[in-house]
Amino acid sequence: MQDILIPATAETPEVKFLYSTHTLSITGESYPENAMVFYAPLRGGLHDYLAQVSEQAKIEAHFSLKYFNSSSTKLLRSLISLLNDAARAGKKITAHWYHDPEDDMMMEFGHDLQDEFGTLELNVTPFEPA
Amino acid sequence: MNLTSFSEFCAQAVKEGMLFYYTGEYSKNVIAAMSDTLRHRLDSTSLSAPARRKIFSTFVEMSQNIMHYVDPDQDGVKVGALAVGHNGGKYYVMCGNPVRVEYVERIKEKVEPLRTMTIDEIKTAYRAQLRNDEHEEQDEISKGAGLGFLTVARDASEPIEYQIVYRSERQDFAEFYLRAAI
Repeated sequence: MQDILIPATAETPEVKFLYSTHTLSITGESYPENAMVFYAPLRGGLHDYLAQVSEQAKIEAHFSLKYFNSSSTKLLRSLISLLNDAARAGKKITAHWYHDPEDDMMMEFGHDLQDEFGTLELNVTPFEPA
Repeated sequence: MNLTSFSEFCAQAVKEGMLFYYTGEYSKNVIAAMSDTLRHRLDSTSLSAPARRKIFSTFVEMSQNIMHYVDPDQDGVKVGALAVGHNGGKYYVMCGNPVRVEYVERIKEKVEPLRTMTIDEIKTAYRAQLRNDEHEEQDEISKGAGLGFLTVARDASEPIEYQIVYRSERQDFAEFYLRAAI
């Protein structure tokens, strides 16, 4: 499979999905007008990868978003949902949700994901100070 | 508008603490340019990162609402108005755009309940809508996640306000105005 590497734009985050090291990182801000257009290929790639990856692989996912719009919200949740389904199927996954240390709402969003997707190991952590 | 009216208009904008006002055609490029400008202005304030995020978020949700829901006029142009300002110790973001009269009730049904909900009730409604996987099938008019107004209400520090204005020259359209204070 081919890695997915998308540089950040003003309104979309940087995406690094490296199959060789089993890591997915989404970093930056996400507020495209139509988030489906941006996230659909990534969701497809993640779905196919999770279906074929070995149960021995240690998969890491990093969600490091300072801001995302309502259109992106559901798509981010759907990526976490895919990871949760794969964890339930026995894949080894550690996910990290990073938030601004001052921003309680972004932290709560991470905790809501933890509550909803109980199988996935999801850590909610403040960003490292810049 | 003559220069006297314009100078009064400028003075009024200063008095109301207006940072930013735009009315006219809405497009991807216009929103991108406004986003940049607003970012720079917010970054030059001493506001906390969450406050800046909330103001910017409200601006994005309102702008994208205009892009999604405003019908293009006879020239194929989507028209809307948007303002960001600061007075009485709070920031405000306001928008206005034409809506078809048949959608007025639908908008009221979405916005009105948000005005009386507590912040915890808004968060609960937001969570429920986020987890509602049937939204796309159930709601054929909505073009997003159904989270736009909820996101605006969640980021606001007081109940959001709205107005529907009917103008006699346009029978089939009303104007929808929305204001959030942060």
